[in-house]
Amino acid sequence: MREYIDGSTAIVRGALDAGCTFFAGYPITPASGILMAMMRELPKVGGVAIQGEDEIASIGMCIGATLAGSRAMTATSGPGISLYSENIGLAVMGEVPLVIVDVQRLGPSTGGATTVSQGDVQFVRWGTGGGFPIIALAPSTVTESYWLTAKAFDLAERFRCPVFVVTDKELATTLTTVDLESYPTIQVRDREVGSGGPPYRYAPADEVAPLHEFGRGATVRFTGSTHDTGGYITKHLPTVDALNRHLSEKIEDHRDEIELADADLEDGAPTLVIGYGVTGGAVRAAVAEARRRGIRVSGLVVQSLWPIPETVIRRAMEGVDRVVVPELNLGLYRREVERIAAGRSVVGVNRVDGELIDVDQIVEAVT
Amino acid sequence: MTDTTQYTRQDWQSDQEVRWCPGCGDYTILASLQNFMADFGVDRENVVFVSGIGCASRFPYYMNTYGMHGIHGRAPAIASGLAVARPDLSVWVVTGDGDALSIGGNHIIHSMRRNINIKVLLFNNQIYGLTKGQYSPTSERGKKTKSSPWGVIDYPFNPVSLAIGAEATFVARTIDMDRPHTQEILTAAYQHQGSAFVEIYQNCNVFNDKAFIALTGKEERDVNRIVLEQDKPVVFGPDDAMGVVIEHGEARIVEVADVGIDAIHVHDATVENAGAAFALSRLSHGPTGPTPIGIFRSVDRSTYASDLQQQIHDAQAARGPGDLALLIAGAGTWEVSD
Ligand code: SF4
Repeated sequence: MREYIDGSTAIVRGALDAGCTFFAGYPITPASGILMAMMRELPKVGGVAIQGEDEIASIGMCIGATLAGSRAMTATSGPGISLYSENIGLAVMGEVPLVIVDVQRLGPSTGGATTVSQGDVQFVRWGTGGGFPIIALAPSTVTESYWLTAKAFDLAERFRCPVFVVTDKELATTLTTVDLESYPTIQVRDREVGSGGPPYRYAPADEVAPLHEFGRGATVRFTGSTHDTGGYITKHLPTVDALNRHLSEKIEDHRDEIELADADLEDGAPTLVIGYGVTGGAVRAAVAEARRRGIRVSGLVVQSLWPIPETVIRRAMEGVDRVVVPELNLGLYRREVERIAAGRSVVGVNRVDGELIDVDQIVEAVT
Repeated sequence: MTDTTQYTRQDWQSDQEVRWCPGCGDYTILASLQNFMADFGVDRENVVFVSGIGCASRFPYYMNTYGMHGIHGRAPAIASGLAVARPDLSVWVVTGDGDALSIGGNHIIHSMRRNINIKVLLFNNQIYGLTKGQYSPTSERGKKTKSSPWGVIDYPFNPVSLAIGAEATFVARTIDMDRPHTQEILTAAYQHQGSAFVEIYQNCNVFNDKAFIALTGKEERDVNRIVLEQDKPVVFGPDDAMGVVIEHGEARIVEVADVGIDAIHVHDATVENAGAAFALSRLSHGPTGPTPIGIFRSVDRSTYASDLQQQIHDAQAARGPGDLALLIAGAGTWEVSD
């Protein structure tokens, strides 16, 4: 069986299959499809969907709902991420699991609301103050839109933090034919709900305390301020230090649980193409085309954008002397790759006119 | 929500040291709230306090309930998510004039309009306390503060008028110093189904002392307090010699003897038309003269959560629950024979 489906619908289905019970969002092109589908579908499975008065309220509602026991998701585009910023910080600080979809469009500002872009890859990484790690997954196909969304719910529970699904106008809104059998099943872990004991844990630094939901057992507090493990505001230096290290290490020390990439490596190939998101499709096609022309080349489509999957990228770079990074921005991810490339030549294939990168452009760069 | 558990005020106190300036009105409100909760037998484990940023926002640390000390202005949004996801919880928002009416203005009006079951306590001290003395959206015109050295030229909000305009189904005003009245209002807000908006005049003795002296001073208060009581003529002052008439949508203060008691407006907060409540709210633009306190408006409307539950029920009945496979595919699926 096949179906004709767009990425937004796949994201919605991934969320529902992952057990999403709460959605709040504000209309914005090109993310409105997710809002509308959620408003229509979530009530059918007993979930709650709300159109907020703005983006700030929408993500705020998700945080409140999560504390009340929901599994929550919100979706927006670049201008909406700007407004999410402070609540992203609150979710990081309060350790609130949450899935945030960014359907990228060409920015800055209103930019091109109906135009594809990958301009937010650093924005989601550094989208709130404080400089703490963020988890972001980037689907490159409709099928990946489905299962990476489910995976995002899983990781949000695992690490008690907001997790981004970074897609774009093209992937989200273009209808594609997909084999129903091609959707993998993702095991999404149940929430570990705390009852009694402190709602936070900082030692060992990488450990995560279960989420203490409101209205179930002992009373607890959450706060956006620096706090002790009881959730009380504090300026006690060792406690603040432990809190901040914990927020970082709970993710940094477990990068292996997050790393995801689709590797198509050819032994002895001198060139590696690294892409992500919608550009990943062009990378796959370009690798196939180059090989057809007798060029030896490897391809890597990064699925976990953040933290950057260093281990996978390093492995893919073995024996390679040239790395090509196509993206719909002026090299935002290429700089990350350069850091790992350790002296190898790294070239970008970049486009910011609102059109997709042609397969030929990549093939040319590989040749 | 009520159960047989017997609480005392101590049960509602957390083990945290309360850190407001000595003499701050917040202490009295905290005590009123803890007393009300204990007296009324509210079940502590069904109560959530959500706050934003400001002096008042430390409240959740001091109440022995669930609490969220969130970010500036966004408490109504967080509380809305909570209240809709768990309609069985009693969700309270503690906020201030800056938090609710400046940065959080949008969230306040929309949470009221939706009739989400949250109780908003707006501690109005007409100043920014936590950031040390800047003017707020309720500061009176001409006021000189650290951020308005030449005097405020903004026109202030009248919070009660704003809440009525925002479709709040329960709107009241009380005064920190008047604990019995505060407890009475809190009880009514708690019992109200839907959004409740309570403005509490709160003295910031450090940055805006005596802002409400017209209503709290020994001599002044008897002259200026207009206590709204359901089904009673709105009279006030020594010997109830003064009264309020409403004509052509406008409330006016008169001497009762001049118009006769039958001409005096009889207060009814339960009428759906908000005209009289709004007119009463316009009697004073700042608490410097005769000012109404009490319940301006208390009307029955279905709550957001109850309407939503109905929609969920209907959607599931129409489609059958848990129909995940068919959920979205359906129309867009077909068989292809190779
Ligand atoms: S600054 Fe004013 S409002 Fe804040 S704690 Fe002190 S007295 Fe109270």
